[in-house]
Amino acid sequence: MESLITAAARALQAGDPLGALNRVALRNDAPSLALRGIAMAQLGDLAKAKTLLRSAARAFGPREAVARARCVVAEAEIALVSRDLNWPANTLAAARATLASHGDLANAAHAGHIEARRLLLLGRLDDAERTLTDINSTPLSPASQVARELVIAGIAIRRLRTKDARAALGRAASAARQAGIPALAAEVESASHVLDTPAARLITRGHERPLRLEEVEDLATSEALVVDTFHHAVRRRGILVPLGRRPVLFALARILAQAWPADVSREALITGAFQARHVDESHRARLRVEIGRLRTKLKPLADVSATSQGFALTPHKTPGKTRDVLVLARPVEEKHANVLAFLSDGEPWSSSALALALGTSARTVQRALEELARSNKVQSFGHGRARRWMTPPVPGFPTGLLLPGPLLKT
Amino acid sequence: MKRSAAEIVREYGPFAGVEAVHGVTYDGTHVWFASGDRLNAVDPADGKIARSIDVAAHAGTAFDGRHLFQIAEDRIQKIDAATGKVLATIPAPGGGGDSGLAWAEGSLWVGQYRERKIHQVDPQTGKILRTIESKRFVTGVTWVDGELWHGTWEGEDSDIRRIDPETGKVLEQLDLPSGTMVSGLESDGGDHLFCGGGNRGNVRAVRRPRRG
Repeated sequence: MESLITAAARALQAGDPLGALNRVALRNDAPSLALRGIAMAQLGDLAKAKTLLRSAARAFGPREAVARARCVVAEAEIALVSRDLNWPANTLAAARATLASHGDLANAAHAGHIEARRLLLLGRLDDAERTLTDINSTPLSPASQVARELVIAGIAIRRLRTKDARAALGRAASAARQAGIPALAAEVESASHVLDTPAARLITRGHERPLRLEEVEDLATSEALVVDTFHHAVRRRGILVPLGRRPVLFALARILAQAWPADVSREALITGAFQARHVDESHRARLRVEIGRLRTKLKPLADVSATSQGFALTPHKTPGKTRDVLVLARPVEEKHANVLAFLSDGEPWSSSALALALGTSARTVQRALEELARSNKVQSFGHGRARRWMTPPVPGFPTGLLLPGPLLKT
Repeated sequence: MKRSAAEIVREYGPFAGVEAVHGVTYDGTHVWFASGDRLNAVDPADGKIARSIDVAAHAGTAFDGRHLFQIAEDRIQKIDAATGKVLATIPAPGGGGDSGLAWAEGSLWVGQYRERKIHQVDPQTGKILRTIESKRFVTGVTWVDGELWHGTWEGEDSDIRRIDPETGKVLEQLDLPSGTMVSGLESDGGDHLFCGGGNRGNVRAVRRPRRG
């Protein structure tokens, strides 16, 4: 390889992007463009990095397929970190195949990890897992091992399998130490915080306490009747009554569950579930209808019985077990919590990427974002299609750039 | 043009702490190779590193009988082989796009990688005396018995080729197995050519075909 390119690549590897830029700043041949792109990415100028990598990919001749594929992988990683989920996934798949067929297994694995992270972010957990399985046979560098374990942990957390998540994070931490990259170790540590910070609130018999993810997981096997505000459902073990499409019924169930074992007055139910200011006879009639509907829905799990002043929830007896009613709520309850959950990774998102990730329309997301912006919970920058939304950074999904290993060592 | 598969006689390395080999030369006893921040002397008999000099070493390496020449960034360093001291530097003709380096007939011969050129350079001043065009990316250059050989790497394939120093025409070509890289080339003066293995971090000895 060329002298100055070697010198610049060594500087990059040693964590000195400015030193690398010094050496190739004025050159426009393909390897120089690629090196400049990676240096700019490491310096945080992702837009510039993207342009440079794209020109580098073009400048590498058709015979330099591997070098070209590495540029594509680097560009895909930048797209992922800037939450540009519309970036063509098939381009990445093609680059990955090229790298694998030319024996560059390390970078092929890296491409696979980027693909898995993208799928994880889109909530396609099975596909993400399948992608990881494909990479399984490759011996990985410690840094790649960290990336892999973070994806495994991410999948486990979203599947509420905290033991698996902890094990993966443990492996990630030791791989990060082995890699000796402080940024990676910090990323693993911040990912681990997710498991130790309250994931939900448990409300029962008028008391509430924070729950860690592990305890949320335990609820799945508990005998208690759970009113789940995450999924808008009422459940006990295997029996699930989804009320996502019936918000009034869910509101009633929740109010009753929070008061359990006490009953709730008609007035309290009407003001709580119908958001009515003055209770009149028409509300009472509506309450009777809705309670009837709720009763039908909850038949497999509980009864809704009338009391002298209102209604009470009576869960069915389970043999040999105490009856208990729990409400599982978000740690902090606010509107548009799902939008905030994605933004809480601290990265800038476009509203269209959020819509894609949430599986809703862009207009719905836009409305939510505007509402959140009015209460200063999110901020935006840029205009038009380039507009991005973010919250002040908090620990979350891996955001660091690993970039393809030895990009230029051919 | 004669074309055949390269016969790899022996492999040296990988060596501890060596990620990639950027240049190769031979001083009659040891094979020297450049590994980024140092020059290493390998005993070809036992394949062990006998000595090393801490000096920037990013591309081609050459030996003129007393001095080692080593490309670093955009210059060529002249190094006292005995003491390891850098005695002088001259600008490299490719301005940093340089790759292979050889010494012959009082001149330095420098490969310019992507430009697919070999320059003959005055070792005192760095002045380009003439330029030979090659058809491939040049990764290593050597002269032996009046033959000019150079390594190539393009796409995923490497070969070692003998070219006509006047016209650049390829006279003979030894193909390396696919995915095997040649970075740095040097003759041992006899039947062997030493070539660097790029990011495999090794050095190979390839048989130089005899002519009747």
